Amino acid sequence: MDAFLLGASQVLSLSTLAMMLLGAIAGIIAAAIPGFTVTMAIVLTLPLTFTMDPLQGIAVMLSVYVGGYTGGLISAALLGIPGTPSSVATTFDAFPMSRNGEPGRALSLGVWASFFGTIISTAVLIVAAPPLAIFAVRLGPWEYFSLIVFALTIVASLVGHSLQRGLIAALIGLVIATIGTDPMMGRPRFDMGFELLAAGLPFLVVLIGIFAISQLASEVEDVNAIKTGERLVTSDIEFRTWSVMREVLMRPVNLIRSSLIGVGIGALPGAGGSIANLVAYDQARRSSKTPEKFGTGTPDGVVASEAGNSATAGGGLIPLIALGIPGSAVDAILMASLMVHGISVGPRLILDNADLVYGMFLAMAVSSLMMLAVCLVSMRLFLRVAEVPKWAVVPIVLVCCVVGSFALNNRVTDLYLLAAVGLLGYALKALDYPLAPLVLGVILGPIAETNLRRALMTDNDWTLFLTRPISLLLLVAAVLSVGWAIWTVLKSRKHATKLKDSS
Amino acid sequence: MTTADEQTGTGGSGDIARLLSYVALLAASAGLFLEASTIPTSRFEVLGAGAFPMLVHGALILLLTGSIIGSLRKIPADAYGRFAADVVAWGKAKRLVFVVFAGLGLYVAVMPVIGYTSSTFLFLITLLVTLAPKTRTALVVALVLALVFSFGLNWLFAEVFNVFLPRGN
Repeated sequence: MDAFLLGASQVLSLSTLAMMLLGAIAGIIAAAIPGFTVTMAIVLTLPLTFTMDPLQGIAVMLSVYVGGYTGGLISAALLGIPGTPSSVATTFDAFPMSRNGEPGRALSLGVWASFFGTIISTAVLIVAAPPLAIFAVRLGPWEYFSLIVFALTIVASLVGHSLQRGLIAALIGLVIATIGTDPMMGRPRFDMGFELLAAGLPFLVVLIGIFAISQLASEVEDVNAIKTGERLVTSDIEFRTWSVMREVLMRPVNLIRSSLIGVGIGALPGAGGSIANLVAYDQARRSSKTPEKFGTGTPDGVVASEAGNSATAGGGLIPLIALGIPGSAVDAILMASLMVHGISVGPRLILDNADLVYGMFLAMAVSSLMMLAVCLVSMRLFLRVAEVPKWAVVPIVLVCCVVGSFALNNRVTDLYLLAAVGLLGYALKALDYPLAPLVLGVILGPIAETNLRRALMTDNDWTLFLTRPISLLLLVAAVLSVGWAIWTVLKSRKHATKLKDSS
Repeated sequence: MTTADEQTGTGGSGDIARLLSYVALLAASAGLFLEASTIPTSRFEVLGAGAFPMLVHGALILLLTGSIIGSLRKIPADAYGRFAADVVAWGKAKRLVFVVFAGLGLYVAVMPVIGYTSSTFLFLITLLVTLAPKTRTALVVALVLALVFSFGLNWLFAEVFNVFLPRGN
């Protein structure tokens, strides 16, 4: 109790709260701009925390983290461009909802779902950190590989009009991920003699090119609408914060299930928000009485994705606090900031620095409250984006994408790549290939390859993928998700034929 | 998402365009499969650097072959005759998209030569004026936006984030 009070007194001090507020605002703004990720925002924050107390520094970085997960929602909902990889599934329903004239509702739903997701994950973090961490490290490369196969089949079957093209897009993503040095031995592959390709294609540049550039190009397809100064959203914007909060709370099962999925996946080192939002969305769709409404702007889809990705923030801290294993790039930076202050992360962290750990738990909860306050106050400002005419938004966001891509590695060649990938993305979109599976393939490809090869280096018996229970469960789930998608297509075809016959 | 058919307003031409994309992807995938098979394996592991790409390309080749067969059965014979005209009509309807991509290509190509500030100003002013309604207010807004996002953004990155955007040769 003493340790908790000590931690609380540090987190709740006026100077820490003020810094956390700034951090939350910075995180939201950074993630709202396509190309600027939560990771980048945290990297930029790290040097600023060197002069702070350890807990104050960590609290500020956590507020950037929590703010960033929510900020990704803003561009996902208003522009159809996921601000971060963890908000890919948010675009499936929040964007159609915005385009149907309800951008205020889409954003509010996402903000409230993010808030409740973070709070639920913090509660789970406090109760279940040690046992979950022990479970997570028991998973071997077999389970990780199977998890990624499952994640790819889910997303391929979720989006677009054709499962076949969804799977092709996911495989194209994996192909893009194989370009450059191989992740195990560093052997060069498929670089065609170009220096540009030798280091591989940075997935953030691919993400921006595929989603942002292709979406922006699509916005100027209608020449007349552009010339008359059409806005992104043409109808009036309504903003009802409290009724939307009730709307989110009226979906307790979806909210809690998605948050628990986020915590569980966040606790797996290497997984994180980019998978959690898709799995949560998939589960919400399967459990829904009206699965056909998913993808058209249903509130359940927004709640599932945002609660799922925000809950990974708490989940990711579980292996970090209990075992010293960072679950994601952001967790690794948090770990680095603790090490800068001479605090070793690992099983002894909670014994030696209990005040720090309890302070981190409290900082998570405070950060989510700050994020909520900032979003509720500034949401009307963000909604102004939807009122800007397309002729102004498209060139400006294009420049933001270019700057964001350059700032990642300070490489001009990344800009050539951005333009080329953008063109590819637009062509694929015009040909009705879904883009989300492609980007997920690029992100998850190296993890899949590393774990496949690691599994066979450990034991060259392929049957282990089928004899280890969790791995088998995930592979069966992958087959079922493809089977379910085929069954849905056949059912809708049958229905369409019946309608045709009766008319 | 609108399909190619919906966008062009033509039945069958979208399927032909997709069929062509399957064929192009199949050719690329087959070539890369062969290249992956030439990557030597390591003595330290069962799978080499080429095994995972071969697995991926193998799956892709199977899927694409199935898609090609499905498309050939689905496309009506008279659709092939309309294809060229439909492509031209689609290109005309989407002419602004081509303007945006041409502008973007030129912009990133000249940025290392003339620097971020000048290239961004030129890119923005050209594209904004091209897309904006031809009113005096819109032109003034376009000029202000071009100045803010070229000179202003460069200043912000250099002074606040310590990230130096390309200065040119």
